[in-house]
Amino acid sequence: MKTLVLNPILGKEYRSRMRSWKSPLIISLYLGLLGLITLGYYWVQQKNIFYTGFGPDVGPQIYVLLTYFQLLLISFVTPALTAGAINGEKERQTFDLLVCTRLSAVSIVLNKLLASLAYIILLVIASLPVFGIVYFFGGVLLSDIGRVFMVYLVTAVSFGVIGIFCSSLFKRTQISMVVSYLLILFLLVGTIILTAFIQGIQSSPYQSSTAAFISYLNPMIALASIFPNQGQNLGIINDILRLGVAMPNSLNQTTLSPWAYNFIINAVMAVILLLIAIIRIDPVGRFSWLRRSGSQQNKVVATEGPDRSGMKGDIIEDEISS
Amino acid sequence: MLVLENLCKNYGKFVAVDNLSLQVNEGSIFGFVGPNGAGKTTTMKILATLLRPSSGRAWIAGEEVSSRPKQIRQLVGYMPDFFGVYDDLKVEEYLDFYSASYGIPMLQRKKIINELLELMDLSHKREAYVDSLSRGMKQRLCLARCLVHDPALLILDEPASGLDPRARVEVREILKELKAMGKTIIISSHILPELTEMCSHVGIIEAGKMVASGTVEQIVNRSQSTQVLEIRVLDQLEETRAVLQDLGYTAAIGERNTLEMPFTGDEREMHHILAALFAAGIPLVSFAESRNNLENIFMELTKGVVQ
Repeated sequence: MKTLVLNPILGKEYRSRMRSWKSPLIISLYLGLLGLITLGYYWVQQKNIFYTGFGPDVGPQIYVLLTYFQLLLISFVTPALTAGAINGEKERQTFDLLVCTRLSAVSIVLNKLLASLAYIILLVIASLPVFGIVYFFGGVLLSDIGRVFMVYLVTAVSFGVIGIFCSSLFKRTQISMVVSYLLILFLLVGTIILTAFIQGIQSSPYQSSTAAFISYLNPMIALASIFPNQGQNLGIINDILRLGVAMPNSLNQTTLSPWAYNFIINAVMAVILLLIAIIRIDPVGRFSWLRRSGSQQNKVVATEGPDRSGMKGDIIEDEISS
Repeated sequence: MLVLENLCKNYGKFVAVDNLSLQVNEGSIFGFVGPNGAGKTTTMKILATLLRPSSGRAWIAGEEVSSRPKQIRQLVGYMPDFFGVYDDLKVEEYLDFYSASYGIPMLQRKKIINELLELMDLSHKREAYVDSLSRGMKQRLCLARCLVHDPALLILDEPASGLDPRARVEVREILKELKAMGKTIIISSHILPELTEMCSHVGIIEAGKMVASGTVEQIVNRSQSTQVLEIRVLDQLEETRAVLQDLGYTAAIGERNTLEMPFTGDEREMHHILAALFAAGIPLVSFAESRNNLENIFMELTKGVVQ
């Protein structure tokens, strides 16, 4: 643990990230969007107050809306932080310098992930005052928020790992970014469509364990299982999100909740993807034979002359495959 | 300090390093010269534990490179031919980051960084962002980075390429200082004359194979090609040519009062020629082997397999 806490990568990443103008911009946008959603929903409720009266469930409804929206924001921000963690170093031509220090591949990967998670945690903590508005209306327990934040953490870890994994797999940051977002889109939307599709062709009142398993991959369904009785008035979206919760199936009849399944699946996935990423970046490690042996990375066809002074750009990365 | 034994690196059918064997003694500066794509960078990356050899073995200070990467990384300071910097870090922070990455305790880092900045003449840039440095300064900073953990062996892949003449001289001076500090240095270049100025030993590599290695004198002597002596005088070109002719040499008159003379003898023979010219009252300005000699040797030893 000592190496993780004092790791230089962590320090450097914090310093670089907080030094950039992007950080305050992202935090402002993030909080601005959350505030906008809260005020927007409150404004709509205010308009309806003459017809329906100000319902006691407005607080929980805003809370549910905020938690889903924050989850989407985390899903959107996390890959942006991690999908360039490894290949960004390669593009910047600092990767070799980093790998030939005494930092192990495990330490490099884990600390890159930790640095991104720290930023996500900062965003979530910065959002707490927005959540505080919910307390004006009442109806939400602190323990509820605690569990929601656990889902955030698990989602940030697993989506962060997806980003790091893609970053170690692809040479270009843009490609790893696109693939990471596609994988995350599948987890957020694809799993719902697939669950509904499997459920549709089975036309049974019971959900198959396959459909349930697929739905549990979705962090929004994990979130829905944390507050199954709140936010019913959010309409069809909530019904879809609660696919894995509302319908009885062989998995949710057991003692484990869908969010617990989600945590376990994410943990297994994170460990596997992290191991692959670690093997991918370790040039001479114990498992380096698992990497493509017939390819030459960073084979440099050198060019001479003053243009090299930029030290970036005129490297020709050539792969000679067997 | 360094021993390579039948080192090979293949990428599929492409052979980057082919049965390379080599020995570099402690405290020497070994110049690794060869055309682009000859296998210099691949060999250096193997030594820096960035690549695993396909076969063969390498030892640094008795430690086997592939099986003990952690120990090797402590022994080696590696500077790649192309490198980037973290542009959002300041010079001091940059060195502090790498010092920490080599496990140097925080209390020692400040002292080490101060010493290195002084050695590299970068103390005045301590607070500057790395990205704002000139190419030569970045090169010196990268050299400082190689030295943070006080390695015994420095592997420098074309450290002077792309630098202006002043920056090249600065790098050369720093290398001399490092040699005086007892460091063993392996330095690569595809320009032989550039290396011979600072190297005690040179190895010429082509298509992954070592075609010649030894001291600069040994390589010159082993070469079949004739050396050329350049004799520059104030005037009396014809008289000079006559004196040389009497000694049995044929010289051609070149540009700027210079005579170029094919020469196969040793240094004693050169001394005789010089003495004869003095005795004849020739107003000599310079008397030296042509710089082209080394280039001719390089061209002779390498066949231009890789371009």
